[in-house]
Amino acid sequence: MATDVMIQANGLTKRFGVVRALDKVNFEVKRGEVVGFLGPNGAGKSTTMRILTCFISPSTGSATVNSHDVFDNPLEVRRSIGYLPQRAPLYTDMTVWEYLKFAAEIRGLDEASFKKRLKKVVEVCGLAQSLGKDISTLSHGYRQRVGLGQALIHDPPILILDEPTSDLDPNEKAEVLRYIKEIGKDRTILLSTHNLAEVEEACARAIIVSKGRVVADGPLDEIRGKTGRVRYVVTVDEQRAEAGNKPPAAAQAQEALQRLSGVKTVRELPTDEKAHKFELSGAQDSDIRAEIYRLAVAKGWTLLELRRDAQSLDAVFRDLTRGDEKLDRGANWTAADADDEEDTSNADEDEESDDDEDEEEEVDAKSKGKS
Amino acid sequence: MSPMLIIAKREFRSYFDSPIAYIVICLSFFALGLMFFLLNGGFWQLDRASIARLFESTPMGLSFLVVPVVTMRLLAEERRSGTLEMLITLPVKDSDVVVGKYLGALGLVLVLVLSTLAYPLVMFWKPWNLGPIDGGPVASGYLGMVLFSCAAVAVGLLISALTESQAVAFFITFFVLGALWLFGDLASKAGGTLAIVLNYVSFQSRLNNFWRGLIDSRDVIFFLSVTVLSLMVAFRALERRKWA
Repeated sequence: MATDVMIQANGLTKRFGVVRALDKVNFEVKRGEVVGFLGPNGAGKSTTMRILTCFISPSTGSATVNSHDVFDNPLEVRRSIGYLPQRAPLYTDMTVWEYLKFAAEIRGLDEASFKKRLKKVVEVCGLAQSLGKDISTLSHGYRQRVGLGQALIHDPPILILDEPTSDLDPNEKAEVLRYIKEIGKDRTILLSTHNLAEVEEACARAIIVSKGRVVADGPLDEIRGKTGRVRYVVTVDEQRAEAGNKPPAAAQAQEALQRLSGVKTVRELPTDEKAHKFELSGAQDSDIRAEIYRLAVAKGWTLLELRRDAQSLDAVFRDLTRGDEKLDRGANWTAADADDEEDTSNADEDEESDDDEDEEEEVDAKSKGKS
Repeated sequence: MSPMLIIAKREFRSYFDSPIAYIVICLSFFALGLMFFLLNGGFWQLDRASIARLFESTPMGLSFLVVPVVTMRLLAEERRSGTLEMLITLPVKDSDVVVGKYLGALGLVLVLVLSTLAYPLVMFWKPWNLGPIDGGPVASGYLGMVLFSCAAVAVGLLISALTESQAVAFFITFFVLGALWLFGDLASKAGGTLAIVLNYVSFQSRLNNFWRGLIDSRDVIFFLSVTVLSLMVAFRALERRKWA
């Protein structure tokens, strides 16, 4: 009996020299799931995908795709998947038709089934107008479609797509996401991106990686709740006020909001209106909208907006992966909310850069040893 | 068709989809004509029904220009543009990729080599018959040239597998094949053990026997060994991506 687990990664670790690109990554993707694989640049998304497609091998750990092991049976693994690498690298000297034909031939499709699949793929990917064109003349969006087309040509049970929407304009992005949803109805899809809106659009489940580790894995709602906070947006008019009160200054309003019980942080947001806009965070499972309203009435503020939402995936993502950013940006890193952490992070950086130098020396020594 | 042959076919066709095949073939024939008829007094001075000159100049041109140009992009360009990832993640073995690309490039070089058959055919058969030509050395000369092409293209592929830059691949291939050719000339100036060593590895010295109509199994095995060895190392170089 076929198992329901289509992709399984067991303790995948990948070292490039002294850099640890992946660190004991574990996850499973089941039949019929569309999973978003999220992370900042350099978090190890592509490395994981390359391991799953047997392009590179893990340093330790193992993975199975469609019950085939990536070490023992790479050809079977590759037969089970359609893979779109980052930036859709295609042979630019071929026409779209030639390219799809080439992929189909290598995958062993006969003429009749190629024709049948081609029709379907052309329809799903919107390639009818460009079949005869040289790939070198296509825009990036169309190349991405061709890449998607070659990944679909053999009707694979599993699709692995590495940033299928990067470099696309918003229309093309929406189109590609529509295809993915369309084809994801009866396939297993692992899709990497650093754009969270896309994940919310197309996937039910996300895996967030950072610095080569899985930091969150689960349904989107569960991940949203992960930081245990709720977000409120409050907008107050800065020119008018009710009942003869003076309109509040930004600092005053912020302070008053901060003093409400249940509020953890208050941050002023930029806005185009003549108003003060704040983002508050409160504990999960609490609702302080009534308190905020009462405060506004008591102070005589003109309340223009008050809304509560579970924390956006974006914010969760930043929360979960922010530590890396700080290290990566080096000494010049000055984000607004980092003031309190600056001293410690500087100390970290000093250490870090020392380490780097040591590592470089090591590498030098090694390469000399080799030559 | 096996994946290897599909890759070979694609590779061979892609030379003709770009100007490279036409430029290489046209300029090579122009250069060959110059060398054959004009250099060192040319063919007519020799006053003999022999195309030995063809066998001397063609492999030299192949070593110094044609093979480096044809092989430089084979794996270097795929690696740089990322198409290698697309190719290898299709259900193909690494060996299919290496041998397929090798056969594609070898195909183009052999088209060039076999087109030079026009010289003996046109001059000594129809429409002109300039004299009775000795068929033996012509046949063995061509056998030598084919074997030489196999080895030279394999060396070029190996070097292309080691770098991401076409320019670097071109220059190193140019240098290595050029050196392997010129070792023959050097050997005649050097003496003793050095001359033996140089003669042993030189493509030129190895080809000498073929030009004279002598098919020595040692020479055949030499060229085949260079071919197989280079392809095996290229295969390892391609496989290295998995672990590096």
